[in-house]
Amino acid sequence: MIVTRRLIVPALACSLTLATACASHKTKGPEYPGQAMVALLPDPETGNVGKAYVTNSAGRTDLGSARDFTTVSVRTAPAPVSTLSQGDVRALFGDVLAALPPPQRHFTLFFRFDSEELTPESKAMAPEILRAVRERQVPDVLVVGHTDTTGAGTGNFALGLRRANTVRTLLRDSGLDVASIDVISHGETELLVPTGDGIFEARNRRVEITVR
Amino acid sequence: MRAHTVAAAVVLTLLTVPAFAAEQQPSAGQIKVVSGSAFIVRGNTVLPATVGQRVFEADKVRTGSDGRLGITLKDDTRFSLGPNSEVHLNRFAYAPSEGRIGLALNVVRGMAAYVSGRIAKLSPDAVKLETPGAIVGVRGTTLALSVSPQ
Repeated sequence: MIVTRRLIVPALACSLTLATACASHKTKGPEYPGQAMVALLPDPETGNVGKAYVTNSAGRTDLGSARDFTTVSVRTAPAPVSTLSQGDVRALFGDVLAALPPPQRHFTLFFRFDSEELTPESKAMAPEILRAVRERQVPDVLVVGHTDTTGAGTGNFALGLRRANTVRTLLRDSGLDVASIDVISHGETELLVPTGDGIFEARNRRVEITVR
Repeated sequence: MRAHTVAAAVVLTLLTVPAFAAEQQPSAGQIKVVSGSAFIVRGNTVLPATVGQRVFEADKVRTGSDGRLGITLKDDTRFSLGPNSEVHLNRFAYAPSEGRIGLALNVVRGMAAYVSGRIAKLSPDAVKLETPGAIVGVRGTTLALSVSPQ
């Protein structure tokens, strides 16, 4: 009886806790020289899972679900897909995932027609943008000016640049180091709302800010 | 001596006209996270990696046994290295208006994590992650890679 209990107790413990807590279920990383393990993970911010494939001259393996992985060595086809537990991901990749930089933030500010004057709603977004910048140890800010398609392309390039510079000035006046701000214009070449030429469209009169 | 003179001239040029130098070779991204020993190998030069440092196409990044490194590229791609790792930024081009986009990261050894950016969104086939024995294609996603030393 005692022998039986000894056998049952660990088995019960194993089934009652996460499978990952059991040594027998742990997946190891690559073992042979040059062997690679490739794992598909949910996006750290959104949780979305994309797709990936691992290929060489000997074959191909598709990864399509969260924590799918394969291993592959030179001149050997990638192994059939298997799945890591969340515990495996933490044990194998927790360290390197923790070293990922914080995600970029995007902001879009809108302007009055044919003007570098921000709409009041957009002006009110300045504090949030500054917060995103100050959260970062080494902020890198890209300010891109855009216009709608009314007026000539060259004039719109200049207008886009004036708009971007307006935002740069706003950020500078709020105490941001201008060395971390890059300013460019795309004029009317990258419309948020696709239109023909010569079309008034408030949503295209904008500056897009990326804080990295 | 000649090499030293050239190097001195380059340093002087960088110091005196940084804006011009920056235009000559736009950076691919920036180091955002460093801990322990971490290095950039640029041509024949090994530079200690520091937070805020720019990285360029053709740079190789490397960590020691206590090292970690996190990098954000200009298309919002993010990648990181764990300890004892080496990744080569073989290609980075992000000029969509000129039709030039591409990213090739070679994970030579160790641990790497990758979060796709705009290049993968615009043209998934323009992104190539390489390991010693395979190529990894991505469709807008997060990947973790581990490569045993050869």
